[in-house]
Amino acid sequence: MSVEEQIRDIVSRIAHVDKSIITRESTFKDMKADSLDVVQALVAVEEAFDIEIPDEEAQKFQNFGDFVSYVESRAAKKDEA
Amino acid sequence: MAQDRKVCVAVDAMGGDYAPEEIVKGAVLAGQKGDVEIVLVGQVDAMEEELARHDSSGLPIRLAEATEVIREGEPPASAVRRKPNSSIVVATKLVKSGEADAIISAGPSGAVAVSAVQHLGMIEGMERPAIGGGFGSFAPGILLMDLGANVDCKPYQLVAFAVAGSVYARKLLGVPNPTVGLLSTGAEEGKGNELVREGYHLLEDSGVNFIGNIEGSDILTGKANVIVLDGFVGNVLLKFYESIGDYALGWMRHKLKRYPLLGWIAKLVFDKTLPIAKLSYEGEEEGSGILWGVNGIVRVAHGACRASHIAHGIAGAKKAVVADIIGALKPELERFKKEGKL
Repeated sequence: MSVEEQIRDIVSRIAHVDKSIITRESTFKDMKADSLDVVQALVAVEEAFDIEIPDEEAQKFQNFGDFVSYVESRAAKKDEA
Repeated sequence: MAQDRKVCVAVDAMGGDYAPEEIVKGAVLAGQKGDVEIVLVGQVDAMEEELARHDSSGLPIRLAEATEVIREGEPPASAVRRKPNSSIVVATKLVKSGEADAIISAGPSGAVAVSAVQHLGMIEGMERPAIGGGFGSFAPGILLMDLGANVDCKPYQLVAFAVAGSVYARKLLGVPNPTVGLLSTGAEEGKGNELVREGYHLLEDSGVNFIGNIEGSDILTGKANVIVLDGFVGNVLLKFYESIGDYALGWMRHKLKRYPLLGWIAKLVFDKTLPIAKLSYEGEEEGSGILWGVNGIVRVAHGACRASHIAHGIAGAKKAVVADIIGALKPELERFKKEGKL
């Protein structure tokens, strides 16, 4: 399963939205996710990929695609190490 | 909890409408009992200034510095992540690190919940935290969940509230086999909105001691020990209930204006013997409730709480630590999840 699919699974489960409606352009607001959902998604992704997402990076995510790209780059760096 | 020391409660000194004055004063009141250690978390200068107003020498109170404050109205998720040195976050991390056993905060409840979820995590089986609390000495032995953490609930969340509420009733209210009622507009099975109707069937099959729907008029009678409801209704109900005492006192004063002697007697009775203004919020549940579902003991206090509320909240937090509510809740949620009920 790709990083994007894994993150889509997590976000879909936490925000209770169908995976099919989550595109790279989707925002948490589009998914009607509240603050707790956002935090839970970040924590779940951190645990799933064994990474830490610094607050200043998380604040830059404008949409689902930004979130995925960031985690992909972190996961790739982790594989290289 | 460390076995070789007293229960330690981290108190967010900067959260609330009357912080830090009332919060520090509440910590001093709790500290005077001597059965709990307190870590006041906040801006040290402000906390020291407030402590200096009280005789706090020899009390089990220490300070932990947190330079930032999360204010009411800030978006909770970004505030928590943007302000890692806020009193809410620092206090939560004290629980995470084991330096404290519980936290109480009168800061923005959304930020307290977000910080708890982020730093303490959720207990498996409960997707979102819920606030549980009772109606004090006026209606002992009952508790309601959720009182405001989840404005929109899913039916299966009601089952999680029932499980957590049953643990609460057993461990903190001493009810061996608590009954669970679902708040609705009528006692019959088909009454209520979609959430309640679906929740009814899930609760019926869940294995909790479900007695069916209960109505608003049943709440205070103790018909059910645990009353399950969504956070929207819960919060409206709680605030309405808490307003009754003050309102009733005002109404009586107004009515007795024409009868000075009766008014004087009423003042004597209702100020001292039967403090009606406090009728609806007394005891350890006064002014704060436990945030259930997070992996640590977190008490969320009213923004407008005063020193006595904080002192009671600290006592309530200590009681929850001693009762090991987290240790009791985890296997229960695990069991219900294993059985496919959550």
